[in-house]
Amino acid sequence: MNDSSRKSTKLSITSSLLIGLSAILIVVSLFFPWWKMVFYAPQYPEGLNIIVYPNKLEGQIDIINGLNHYIGMSNFGAENFPELSYLAYLVGGLAVITLLTAILRNKKVLYGLISIFMIGGLAGIMDLHFALQKYGTNLSPKAPIKIDPFVPPIIGQNTVANFVTHSLLGTGIYFVIAAFILLLIPVWKDRKK
Amino acid sequence: MKKWIPIASGLLAGFIAATITFADFSAKTNTEAASSNKSDAEKVYVPFGQKDDYYLFASGGHSGQMFIYGVPSMRKIRTIPVFSQDSATGYGFDEHSKKLMGGYTWGDLHHPAFSETKGDYDGKWMFATDVGNSRAAVVDLETFTTKDIIKVPNTAGPHCAAFVTENTEYMFLPTRFAVPVGQKYESLDNYSQNYRGVMSAVTFDEKNVKLNIAYQVALPPWSYDLSDAGKKGSADWAVMTTYNTEEATTTLEVNASQADRDYIVLFNWKELEKMVKEGKYEDVDGQKMIYPEKQKGGIYLVPVAKSPHGVDVTPDGKYFIASGKLAPAMTVFSFEKAFKAVENKDFAGERNGIPILNYKSVMEREVNPENALGPLHTQFDDKGMAYTTMFISSEVVKWDPNTGKTLDRVPVQYSPGHSVAAEGDTVSPDGHWLVALNKIAKDSYLSVGPSHPESMQLIDISGKMKVIQSAPVDPEPHYAQMIKADKIKTINVYPKDEKNKDAVYKQNDTKIVRKGNEVHVYGIAMRSRFIFDAKAKRPDVIEVNEGDHVFIHLTNIDFDEDITHGFAINSYDLNIEVQPGQTNTIEFTADKAGTFPIYCTNFCSALHQEMNGYFLVKPKQ
Repeated sequence: MNDSSRKSTKLSITSSLLIGLSAILIVVSLFFPWWKMVFYAPQYPEGLNIIVYPNKLEGQIDIINGLNHYIGMSNFGAENFPELSYLAYLVGGLAVITLLTAILRNKKVLYGLISIFMIGGLAGIMDLHFALQKYGTNLSPKAPIKIDPFVPPIIGQNTVANFVTHSLLGTGIYFVIAAFILLLIPVWKDRKK
Repeated sequence: MKKWIPIASGLLAGFIAATITFADFSAKTNTEAASSNKSDAEKVYVPFGQKDDYYLFASGGHSGQMFIYGVPSMRKIRTIPVFSQDSATGYGFDEHSKKLMGGYTWGDLHHPAFSETKGDYDGKWMFATDVGNSRAAVVDLETFTTKDIIKVPNTAGPHCAAFVTENTEYMFLPTRFAVPVGQKYESLDNYSQNYRGVMSAVTFDEKNVKLNIAYQVALPPWSYDLSDAGKKGSADWAVMTTYNTEEATTTLEVNASQADRDYIVLFNWKELEKMVKEGKYEDVDGQKMIYPEKQKGGIYLVPVAKSPHGVDVTPDGKYFIASGKLAPAMTVFSFEKAFKAVENKDFAGERNGIPILNYKSVMEREVNPENALGPLHTQFDDKGMAYTTMFISSEVVKWDPNTGKTLDRVPVQYSPGHSVAAEGDTVSPDGHWLVALNKIAKDSYLSVGPSHPESMQLIDISGKMKVIQSAPVDPEPHYAQMIKADKIKTINVYPKDEKNKDAVYKQNDTKIVRKGNEVHVYGIAMRSRFIFDAKAKRPDVIEVNEGDHVFIHLTNIDFDEDITHGFAINSYDLNIEVQPGQTNTIEFTADKAGTFPIYCTNFCSALHQEMNGYFLVKPKQ
């Protein structure tokens, strides 16, 4: 009921609110893990975790590193992931751009934002994949236990020696996905009739 | 029209219908019925993944250790070394435990006692005494390790200890053997004049984890057998049994069994505390010693059938029950009547300067179950009913302290000393389980020669008493205590202690430092290697000169539950352990030149066998 008089490139107030909510969800996602890997073994039925936040690693990293040295895998640690030092700022920047989009209510800006979202998401997936590949294939030749190189999936299950690993998306990434969907709704809602 | 109303009411109706049709309102009664229908085997079977309901802490007697069992499975879980060396855990080898042991190699661990809050176990600490070398110890229940040991002077054999007061204000250590003060040489002809049965009031400083002696009481030269602290209305008081009030000095078997009556010592620890505060004591080699014949008050004698063993306070704190041992009866005494007798000075003379209360004025009833012989010790259930072990007639008798009526009895195999009921000496016993600690087990298990283990028999006391399980146990549980499992909160790994100068948590921080002829090793153990000096050509080698004084500080940097490492030096008679996250020190002189392998003794990983190093000692030129 609002835009009969306006140009079709202007987004509705409802859409603006949805985009604003999207910005909030992006900020909230920073406080939750984005991705994690759980390691199960006969002697670790409770599971060992690597939990990845945009800015830090949590979980039983030292124990996992201790065990991984048997297969010659290099150590996980914040120092090996420079992404952790700037990813939070990138995400924060994205939230700011999203908020600006909500304020500007301009469709073109929104398309731009959606593009950034998609490029960023793709880059993130590639980055994680290459990290997993690096760890799984770059095994020390002097390792006491020799295993074939492997690449754990980003989502799903993998078996290495006595460990079964489960890669899972974290709560944070679901917030991001929800934020992305909130950006798509205005595209449909304010479509040209 | 509000559309949601019909939808919501439809859903609600559906839920109610489903609940009525499928929900099992009789679930609770069903499980109860099922549990009482369980066979004996089902009652004691704890499947993998489930855990026992209770911890049983049994004194290990002259093994110097404490044994931890699970109830009802009666599976042994752990041995805690307290007063004796234990190479399996490196206890008595590493610096901390070696200092605690104070140069002794064994102990006779008698009565274990949990710390209490408001008369109930709080699951924080466990105390124990050593009859063999007159010591007291405290065990931390976060780690199940011994934290402090104190040598108690002027006393020889704190047997009937330890017992703690309602809020662990004191742990009292009465003694089995009388000796002269300072344990100096003194002819036994002067026994009555110069020997004393000194009781110690030990306090526990929880913050610093230190035991201290607050004061001592130079009681007459008798033997003090068992004891208990009051509860609720009688919380300021404590009772203990005596024998050899004859003051015999030889062949006690006969000579200490002559008098028809011995005594229960009844004392008010609040009053004794006040006397000490007011300076009513004598300084004896730095100890504050109360001489009851000089510093009067607070201590009374209650006549009791001869040579009693146990004296136990009922959960409501109203009565104390003495077990006759040589007399076939239990005697129930009333605290209330005793307080009145004290107030009215209703005395029947004095003994060694201590007023004797009139037996008739304090006694509530004598209980004499038919043909029951040798009552030793009493525990209680959730309804306040008493369970007394009969050493000679080899049975447990259940009876009502309020009426004296015998309610039930069950034979045990054989000769029970003590028994322990679930939280059975607290203000709120749990009932259900009782374990008889039997001294003779000759028919119970596969034979291992002329001497057999002791036995612990689990008795289901929820209905008619029945022995449903029997577990062998090493010598020798005297008393035990049983605590609800959820009261104990253990830790999984030792937390990092950045203040500990001996600890190293990073591989690259490891180092070997020489100061004159002292060599300090700051090393780590991890799956599956030792690192003593990360920068060395061989990080797992320690090289010293003959005669060097060696300190090895070892930290287990596997912060992973149950990944314990050992550290032994072959032919150097040394072995310690480091639990996950723990730092331990071993100190010794490298007095033997040669080549000595170092290895991990506690199986830690698939490459445990490779967890080696060398200790090289260069000979003197």
